[in-house]
This record gives sequence, structure tokens and C-alpha cells, in this order.
Amino acid sequence: MRNSPFFHFLTLEFFKERKKHMGVIAISLVILFLLSSVLFISSSIRYSLEQTLDQEPDFVVQRIQGGERVSVPTEWMDRLLEIHGISSVTARVYGRYFFKSKEKSFLIVGVDFMDEQSHKALRTIMDEVDLREFLKGDNMLVGGGVSHYLKSHFYPKGYTFLTPKGAFKKVHLFKVLPRESNLIANDMIIVPIELAQEIFGMNEEEVSDITFNVPNDDEWANVEDKISSFHYDLRVITKNDIKKAYENLYNYKGGIFLILFLITIVTFVLILYQRYSMVYSSERRHIGLLRALGWSINDVLKLKFFETMMVVIVAYILGVGLAYLYVFVLGAPLLREIFLGGANLHNVITLVPVLNFGILSSIFLIYAVPFVSAVLIPVWKIAVTDPKEAML
Amino acid sequence: MTENAIITIENLNKHFKSGDLLSKVLKDINLEIERGECIVLKGVSGSGKTTLLSIMGGLDRPSSGKVLVEGESISKLPDLHISHFRAQKIGMIFQHFNLFDHLTATENVMIPLIPARLSMDEVDQKVHSSLKLANISHKAESTAGRLSGGEKQRVAIARALVSDPAIILCDEPTANLDRDNSLKFIEILGQLHEMGKTIVVATHDPLFDTLSFANRVVPMEDGSLVGSISKGLQ
Ligand SMILES: Nc1ncnc2c1ncn2[C@@H]1O[C@H](COP(=O)(O)OP(=O)(O)OP(=O)(O)O)[C@@H](O)[C@H]1O
Ligand SMILES: [Mg+2]
Repeated sequence: MRNSPFFHFLTLEFFKERKKHMGVIAISLVILFLLSSVLFISSSIRYSLEQTLDQEPDFVVQRIQGGERVSVPTEWMDRLLEIHGISSVTARVYGRYFFKSKEKSFLIVGVDFMDEQSHKALRTIMDEVDLREFLKGDNMLVGGGVSHYLKSHFYPKGYTFLTPKGAFKKVHLFKVLPRESNLIANDMIIVPIELAQEIFGMNEEEVSDITFNVPNDDEWANVEDKISSFHYDLRVITKNDIKKAYENLYNYKGGIFLILFLITIVTFVLILYQRYSMVYSSERRHIGLLRALGWSINDVLKLKFFETMMVVIVAYILGVGLAYLYVFVLGAPLLREIFLGGANLHNVITLVPVLNFGILSSIFLIYAVPFVSAVLIPVWKIAVTDPKEAML
Repeated sequence: MTENAIITIENLNKHFKSGDLLSKVLKDINLEIERGECIVLKGVSGSGKTTLLSIMGGLDRPSSGKVLVEGESISKLPDLHISHFRAQKIGMIFQHFNLFDHLTATENVMIPLIPARLSMDEVDQKVHSSLKLANISHKAESTAGRLSGGEKQRVAIARALVSDPAIILCDEPTANLDRDNSLKFIEILGQLHEMGKTIVVATHDPLFDTLSFANRVVPMEDGSLVGSISKGLQ
């Protein structure tokens, strides 16, 4: 290649006309940077969600009265246990607790620590907790957001909850949950199940909902049908429903961005197209002159193709590389607000680096194909006309 | 057709359409140019010199009629062939020099050789000797945009010569030069003539009237050739 006059001339042209390319590279870089950042963030979030949801139970049974969720009687559990193919039937107690100001609410989750199944989903989070010590008194584990809120409102050691029956319940802050769990546990308060029942004013025969697993996928629809007919005000939610709801939310946000980018890219491509097809542009003279000096249409297209590819590749490597740093090293300041905002508290989640060939190649295609055509089509149009422009 | 003819033009017409308006720029041109001849196409502005020259060089196509170069009709060749034809047989010198201003003299001269699949060494060697022939070796590494008019012209000559073409076509070569540089150009043209190149110069510069080595002055008027003043081959 070093000994090829063509590549010699190509690199020569590229570097001597770098000013001409700089602007295009700069704009491409910004577009590619934003595009890849958004794709990186959304794929990373999707990955985390999938990981999290994998630990969730397959089915949740709730009770609805007058359109509102009410507590479920524990006797339902016994009836569930009779159904063939169902395992890990677990009662859960949880709910939103609104703080004084009413604008903040946190999720209180009651866990039956005597039951292995019950805290399976939270196991990773709870790994480092000394359960014996935790269960001795009225203690709670809180997520990063809760801890932050309590501290800033001068409750660094605990909080006194007000139950619906008008009683006060003082609970100690036992431990703050690790940062890694923030995507799900940021605004969570974990307490023993009896304590949760007390805070929500439930008696011992009442729980918020019941969960269970159905290990055989083929049984899912069947089981769902059977349980729905149990009781007139019973509602069943499957893991797939939750997954879809989450995905819709993030796809929606990601989709808006993608549309914005497509619009930006289309505009940019139109500008490029204009620039290359301008009637009296220097590009036109340039091409005419090369043709007059004995270059064939193919020779001209080859030069312009490689020249454009160099621009594309430089911008691609820089843009994607910077996006990677921005998202996975710096944690995507600003953009993350848009994706994760809307959650009750400022989320402090870590974006796990997820890079796959699919994302990288779609970024390349979304950008490179329109770009290269925006240059080559007008170049080709000019090149096929007789090169007498050079004489003028 | 004479055996020795390198360019033969038969019943050539060229017209341009702009809207409904049809302007006839070249009318029934017949011309035979012999190998090694130097011809001066003379005529006022707008008489069609540039148009005729670009058709001879394969940059434009005739509306009707034939152009034969070394017995081959160039007007109907497909692009790849006509590009090869230009690259191998024709050296062009343009009125406005038409250099790539951001490239050096050497790089400019290299351009016609790039599609030819030569090695870098061959290219370097050809560029070097061509710059020498045009007497501009001392500016080989200067950026073309910074050269004087006369220097630019000599780089353009070097570029026209680099693929050792049989035919040199010059369009108003001295229009942008002062008298001194014009005379220098004519001197180089004389050398090319001695090397046996076929030369066609389109000009209205009176300096070419008294050219010692020109074989023929062909006057052009309103798209037609009006007889020719032959000086006979030297
Ligand atoms: N592409 C074109 N479309 C329409 N008319 C054209 C075109 N090219 C040239 N002409 C016309 O053809 C005529 C001859 O042009 P040409 O450039 O060949 O003249 P010329 O003898 O070279 O003139 P000059 O000495 O000014 O260079 C002019 O009247 C010009 O307006
Ligand atoms: Mg002219």
C-alpha cells in the first residue's frame, strides 16, 4: 500500500484538505457521540433490568376492590399450594409510605426472614447483613436514596412511623444498602414482615400480595387461567407483564432519542448532499479537472469513496470511544437524568458496560450508509457529465 | 485522410441548447493535423476555440461529425476508454492553469499518472524528469497556490507532459502571463515541437503570429475555419 500512488495521493489529499474535513468530522462526532451514548445507556439499563427481573417471582396475586388494591388474606396461600405445578408460594407485605412533607414516598418491603424463599430475590442485597442482630429489635435496611433523605431531614439514626391506626412506631436505621442495588432498591426500606404489617396497620392474617413460581413455562397460561377464577376480586400479574411495562418505558425514551437523531442525520446528510452537488462548487471543478487529466469515473468514485470512508471511520472511532468514556467511566451525567429521572429520588445507579456487536454495527450503519451515499451520489452525477468544466 | 494524420476532424458540428434557444458554436469543421505539426487556432473571443479544443481532447462530444485520433473515432468511446485516451494521448494546458492550489508542484504533476497502476518509483521518476523538462524543478516542493503565474504555467506544462502524450492541447496559454513569461512559454513549446509532439494552440495572442516553428495558423470565425495560412513543415 505504501508503494501505491493511489493511496499516496489519497492520504495527501486527506491531510492537505483536513480543514475541509474537520467541520464534517466535528459534526459527525457530536451526532455519533450522542447516538452511541443513548444506545449505550438504554442497552445497559435493559441489561440491568433483565438481571433484576430474573430474580423476581413468576407470578404475583393481588386483590382489587373498587379499583383499589387491598390486602390479601393469607388463607389464599393454602388454596394456591393445592394447584399442581406451583412452587415457592410466598406472602409479601409492602407499600408506599408517605413522609410528612407528602411529596416524598418510599417503598417499605416486609421480609419473612424465617422463610428462605421470601428473601431470595433480595438475597444479593442482604448478603452482608447480620440477620441475628437485625431481627433483635425494630430495625430497617434502607436504599441510598432513603438514607440521603433521612439524613438531610435530621433522622440519621432512624425514623418514627405513623400507622393508619394513629400509633407511633420507632424504627432504627440498621444499615444502608450497597450502591450496586440502587436501580431497584434506591428508594426501598426493608423491614421484617411483622413490622411492615404493623406500619401499614394490617393484622397477621393479611398480606399485600402473594407470589409464586411456575417452573414449567408451558404451564404458565394454564395456571394463570385457573387462579383468575379463584375469586372475583383477584388479579394475577406475570413477570412478563412487568418486563413489558419496563421495556415499553425505556424503549419509549430511547425511541424519542432515535427519532431526534434520525432527523439530525437526515438534515446533515441533506447539507452534505447540497454541498457536493452545488453547481459551481469547487468540488465540481475538482472532479472535472481530475476527469480532464485522464481519470475515469471509477477512479474518481474510488478516490471519493476512500476519502469519505476515512472521514467516517475517524469520526466513528472518536465518537463511539468518547461515548464509551462518557457513559461507562463518567456515568453519563445529564443524559442519565433523562433516562432514570422520574423515579422518586435521584438515582445513583452504576451503568454496567454492555457492548455488543449489534449496537456497534447499527451505529455504524445508521451513520455511514446515508453519509457515504450523500457524498457519492452527487459525485457520481458530476463525474458522469463531460469534464469540460475544467476548461472554463 | 493523409497517412500521416494524427487528428482528423470531419464535418464536425456542435450546438448547445439552452431552453428553446439553439446556438451553433461549431459549424461544419474539417481539419487534418499531421503528426508533429504545430497549429495555431486563431480567433476572437467566442469564436469557438475552446469548444473545438475540448472536443479534440475528448472532454466534450460533438453534436455531429467525426473526430479521429490515430485512426480511431473518439466521439463514441465509452468512459473508461476515453479516460485512457486522455491519460495516454493528450496533454492539456488550460488558460487558468487549473492546478490544485493546496498541493505541491510535484503532487500536481503526479495526478495524471495515478490511475495508471505504476509503482511509486516509476511515478517519482516520471514526475522528476517532467518538471525538469518544463524548467520548474527548483519549485518542485512549493505549494502551487503560492507560485507566480509563470511558474504555475510551467507546472501545468510539466503535468501535461508527464504521461508523455503525443498531442499537446493549449487553450489561451499566455492569456494570464506577462510578455517575458509568454516568451519563455513559447520557447518551451519550441522544444516540445522539436521532440516531435503534435501541438494545437488556441489563442488570440499576436505573439503567436510570428512563431518561428508554427506550421499553420488556422483562423477561426464564428464557429468556422476560414482557410489556413500554411508555413510548410520545417
Ligand atoms: N456549455 C455551453 N452552453 C451554451 N453555450 C456555450 C457553452 N459553451 C460555450 N458556449 C458558447 O459557445 C461559443 C464559443 O465558446 P468558446 O468558449 O469555444 O469560445 P472561445 O473562442 O474559446 O472564446 P474565448 O477566446 O473567449 O475563450 C460562445 O458564444 C459561448 O457562449
Ligand atoms: Mg476559450
